[in-house]
Amino acid sequence: MATKTFDKETILDLTVNMVPLAIILFFVVAFTFVNPFGFESLTSGLQYTLLIAPFVLLAALTYLSGKAIAGSEKEGTVYAPGQATVPGAKPLHEAEGEETAELEESTDDDAVEAADETA
Amino acid sequence: MEVNGQLALTVLMGVFLIAVAAWLARVEDWRSYTPLAGGGTVGGTAEQYVSEEKPSGVIRWLTTVDHKDIGMLYGAYALVAFAVGGLMVVLMRIELADPSMTLISNTFYNSLLTSHGITMLFLFGTPIIAAFSNYFIPLLIGADDMAFPRINAIAFWLLPPAALLIWAGFFPIPDVIPAQTAWTMYTPLSAGVGSGNQMNAGVDLMLLGLHLSGVSATMGAINFIATIFTERNEKVSWANLDIFSWTILTQSGLILFAFPLLGSAIVMLLLDRNFGTMFFSVDGGAILWQHLFWFFGHPEVYILVLPPMGIVSLVLPRFAGRRLFGFKFVVYSTLAIGVLSFGVWAHHMFATGIDPRLRASFMAVSLAIAIPSAVKTFNWITTMWNGKIRLTTPMLFCIGFVSNFIIGGVTGVFLASIPVDLVLHDTYYVVGHFHYIVMGAIAFAGFAGLYYWFPIYTGRMYQVTLGKWHFWLSMVGTNLTFFAMILLGYGGMPRRYATYLPQFATLHQVATVGALILLVGQIIFVWNFVQSWLEGREVQDGDPWDLADDDLVTAEWTWFERKLETAVTDGGEEETELATDGGQTVDDADAESADDA
Ligand code: HEM
Ligand SMILES: [Cu+2]
Repeated sequence: MATKTFDKETILDLTVNMVPLAIILFFVVAFTFVNPFGFESLTSGLQYTLLIAPFVLLAALTYLSGKAIAGSEKEGTVYAPGQATVPGAKPLHEAEGEETAELEESTDDDAVEAADETA
Repeated sequence: MEVNGQLALTVLMGVFLIAVAAWLARVEDWRSYTPLAGGGTVGGTAEQYVSEEKPSGVIRWLTTVDHKDIGMLYGAYALVAFAVGGLMVVLMRIELADPSMTLISNTFYNSLLTSHGITMLFLFGTPIIAAFSNYFIPLLIGADDMAFPRINAIAFWLLPPAALLIWAGFFPIPDVIPAQTAWTMYTPLSAGVGSGNQMNAGVDLMLLGLHLSGVSATMGAINFIATIFTERNEKVSWANLDIFSWTILTQSGLILFAFPLLGSAIVMLLLDRNFGTMFFSVDGGAILWQHLFWFFGHPEVYILVLPPMGIVSLVLPRFAGRRLFGFKFVVYSTLAIGVLSFGVWAHHMFATGIDPRLRASFMAVSLAIAIPSAVKTFNWITTMWNGKIRLTTPMLFCIGFVSNFIIGGVTGVFLASIPVDLVLHDTYYVVGHFHYIVMGAIAFAGFAGLYYWFPIYTGRMYQVTLGKWHFWLSMVGTNLTFFAMILLGYGGMPRRYATYLPQFATLHQVATVGALILLVGQIIFVWNFVQSWLEGREVQDGDPWDLADDDLVTAEWTWFERKLETAVTDGGEEETELATDGGQTVDDADAESADDA
């Protein structure tokens, strides 16, 4: 199951963040081989920390958000963004049409109520 | 002895405060205060509404906890601040039309410069974004209101006193003068050291006001995070969340980590100024301030630009007749910008003599962060490619956004390169760079949103021709002003000076003319905005942009449609086709509105 979350399409979506990760990685390697300013434990340590910390954090956030988004794609109906509560909106994957119609009714009522409140 | 006295006093105060809190908790039934507008987190359900009716008149606006009303308050506040900051800079630009000191004194110029920057970033930028997010996020995600409606109201009401404190130096208060520290508030100048006049209480008031605006932003951010995580309609899963909500969520995360740091740095500075501490006066103190400030400051620029990017990502596809190309790319790159923006701060400090190894790392991450921004730009362009483009006013502002953002972004990437920055740092090139973003992009997206949603929050339509005038004057004015600044920077003109060498006069005059064109455009905007709000044609169609034709209706418009339906139950009226900016070809719309103007 867990491995299934990251199918080919999701991986493709995540490539957008692989590029900055790759750039950072490139500089980590480059600074190791091209090092005109010499090595000093504190500053050189900081130099690498400044690259590795954003790398790790970005990788983690990309993984978590990818999991959340791909996971909820698997579990529920997928609509065009911002259109889930629009009456009559068609799911992006037609197959799940039925279950959607049910949900729609309940939320419509809520929404009308909300509109009443503000009118 | 003295210390003991103070200690006793402190303890006494503490006991007193606890007593007051306990007393309040007894006499008041706080439970009855569960959110009026049905945020419903404290065990509140829809039936628990305290009152169905809002009070009328001024009282309504002072007591409201409805997210839409608070959005309107934020919007009004931001536009007033935009006018104040704008008029300040018009005065400065007129002064700069000639090389020597003519109209205003150099110190007054410095005061205006400082206030212009702080006003535009903290009193216009953040609030105008909050206006849109407060009004539309709950509608877009299908929530009844914000998670904490009262905190929402408090966050807004902290802002007017913040503005008064920030502008305090300009009021006729004896012995209080405006801060002249620039928005970066670098020490030792801002610590009041030396023979200058920056030990003045006006600087302290400005710092306190800035702190207050930060508290407000942080409260708002917590509220948005809670709302987007917990109040979404059951159908709005992470996969269905709209792009504007994504950018607001990311922005709120940035605020949460950045603003408390600014607050702490400001408190340290205030302690240095008033209580004899030496945070920023010991060896390396000035650099410490720069690190603290820019660790906040760089994320702040993305705090300001991410939601406008979200607005453009939402609005632009609606007038291109198709969905946003590569939606998920835009989402993930937004998150990437959020993380990386905390790793680039010292690109503002390349010229400080910082260790070259650290400098190299900051350059590397600055280059990496350019990628997600570029990805979005390509997505917007690809969305428009072969699309069914309708050049309505909001769409024009979106396209202007993309165009200006490209110039602002590319100049930024150049600045991120160490050797280039060492030449251009502290010149007008930097001023040109960030104004292409803050004016050319952020303000443009703000206008796109104001026009796009005008029917929702006013129930009326703006005047189309005036909208187009506003756009073109803004576009021409922005590019004239800020491109001249980029050229000035290449020529070596340093920033933040009230006077300059005669060789820079021509380009400075071009920039001044551009600023005046901008001014004319904004006057037209104010006229259009106010007059249309009062007298514009009423919108009777819940979908004034005809989004349904392309299946592009989003949740806030269906809310609007229901609102219209429930409000107009009289019936019998025939459907009149409304002259909106959207329902027809551009030429028609122009012809229609000619008689409006
Ligand atoms: C996207 C929205 C952006 C905004 C709102 C923005 C805003 C700003 C601001 C306000 C400054 C001036 C700071 C000062 O007072 O000295 C600045 C400077 C700078 N920006 Fe940007 N910027 C943006 C994008 C970028 C990008 C994409 C890059 C590069 C990757 C970049 C690189 C720089 C650099 C290196 C400086 C420092 C220049 C110097 O002081 O010498 N910026 N930016
Ligand atoms: Cu920066």
